[in-house]
Amino acid sequence: MKVALEDISFSRGPFTLRGSGTFDAGVHLISGPVGSGKSTLALLLAGLLRPGGGAIRRDGVSSALLLLQFPEHHITSPTVAEEVRSWGLAPDDVLARANLSARANDDPFHLSRGELKRLTLACTFMRNPDLLMLDEPFSSLDCTAKRMTCRMIEERDAGITIIFSHERAVLPRVDTIWEMEGGTLTALGSVPGAISRWRHAPPYLAYALEQGARPENIRLSDAQEALCRTQG
Amino acid sequence: MQDPRLRLLSTAVLSLAAFASTTGAVAALIWWLVFTPRTKALPRPGVLLSLIAMIAVTALVSWWGGGPGVSYLVRMVAVLFLAAWAYAETEEGEMLAVAVWALGDRIGFEIGLIAEMGLTGLAVIRQDIDQIQVALALKGIRIGARSIVPIAALLIVAQIRRADEMARLLVVRGYTLGGRICPLFRTDSRDILASLSAVILGLLSCLPVRDVFILLQ
Repeated sequence: MKVALEDISFSRGPFTLRGSGTFDAGVHLISGPVGSGKSTLALLLAGLLRPGGGAIRRDGVSSALLLLQFPEHHITSPTVAEEVRSWGLAPDDVLARANLSARANDDPFHLSRGELKRLTLACTFMRNPDLLMLDEPFSSLDCTAKRMTCRMIEERDAGITIIFSHERAVLPRVDTIWEMEGGTLTALGSVPGAISRWRHAPPYLAYALEQGARPENIRLSDAQEALCRTQG
Repeated sequence: MQDPRLRLLSTAVLSLAAFASTTGAVAALIWWLVFTPRTKALPRPGVLLSLIAMIAVTALVSWWGGGPGVSYLVRMVAVLFLAAWAYAETEEGEMLAVAVWALGDRIGFEIGLIAEMGLTGLAVIRQDIDQIQVALALKGIRIGARSIVPIAALLIVAQIRRADEMARLLVVRGYTLGGRICPLFRTDSRDILASLSAVILGLLSCLPVRDVFILLQ
């Protein structure tokens, strides 16, 4: 199972996105500053935009799903329960997972953005597609919900998961790191080797590297463990 | 047409003429062909065809019931083309400028503000429809007869919510009644020619011209 970007290019006004590379099974993190082109790449990978040049080829991928950055853009139904049904899912399980069981009959727009994000995240993970693309999955979430999202990502035991995020505090265990800057996608390689090349690494990882530690992965706990090993 | 006052006048006169009679509608369509960028000012083919289809269905029902179905189709298509042109040419702030120029800083400002908010709302609805199409595609739902009613309800609720938010924002910023702006307009000779033609065509198609000539004889 893989998704290959073959010298794709996409232009909108003065902005041009370019990228090449292969996403194999596992968890991929595409990091980069706001406005660097992450969401545009997500839309291209999901097939919602067409590249102006090059091609995107899917091999062995039978289902794909993109979680949009703004959860309100997913809403197509007048109640929370109907919204879950519109994803082809049973409301009880999803609402329990999103901790929203008491809000089944509410208007989805009456949920806070954080609650709405929890709802769309729960729907996305319950669908369990082969190719799961998460555009800024941690935005609007508190620390507890961010950690829960990390757990859901890590518990996916098959398929390709691509995370597009500028999050620099709470991150899941990943297999590969990519960077997006000025519309250009760069593959940094597999973790842990890619961590030292990661220019947008969160401060705790940068500190660990400065201290001579070599974290096994990109989570805060990985940096702490590496520091403990180094400093004894 | 650069001058929004003349554009609004031409649109109003020709729309009335088109609505009043088939002759007026034909005259309005001829004016539209001569003085507008024609197809460049029309909405996307999908949107345009949907609107024409809705008019055609109503016309068909009218014709089936013994009413003036074909005439209704021609008249409403002419009104639609004029409205599409006026909407495409209108720039942000022009409705407010025209309303203040015509009715002053209090009532004019209020009416202009409402018109501006209405036009902005149309653009936002277009974005909402695009977003809903993406959401439905991601969920694997095809847009059909069953999904039209919930989508329409969603769009209406979203618009009411935005209007409420906008009203609260205006209150928070201290808005009570009216405001002052100094509208500036640019008019060229083509604007005058087009609007003069519109008024003449409007008058000719609304007045009982044959009766006038009989009186002259």
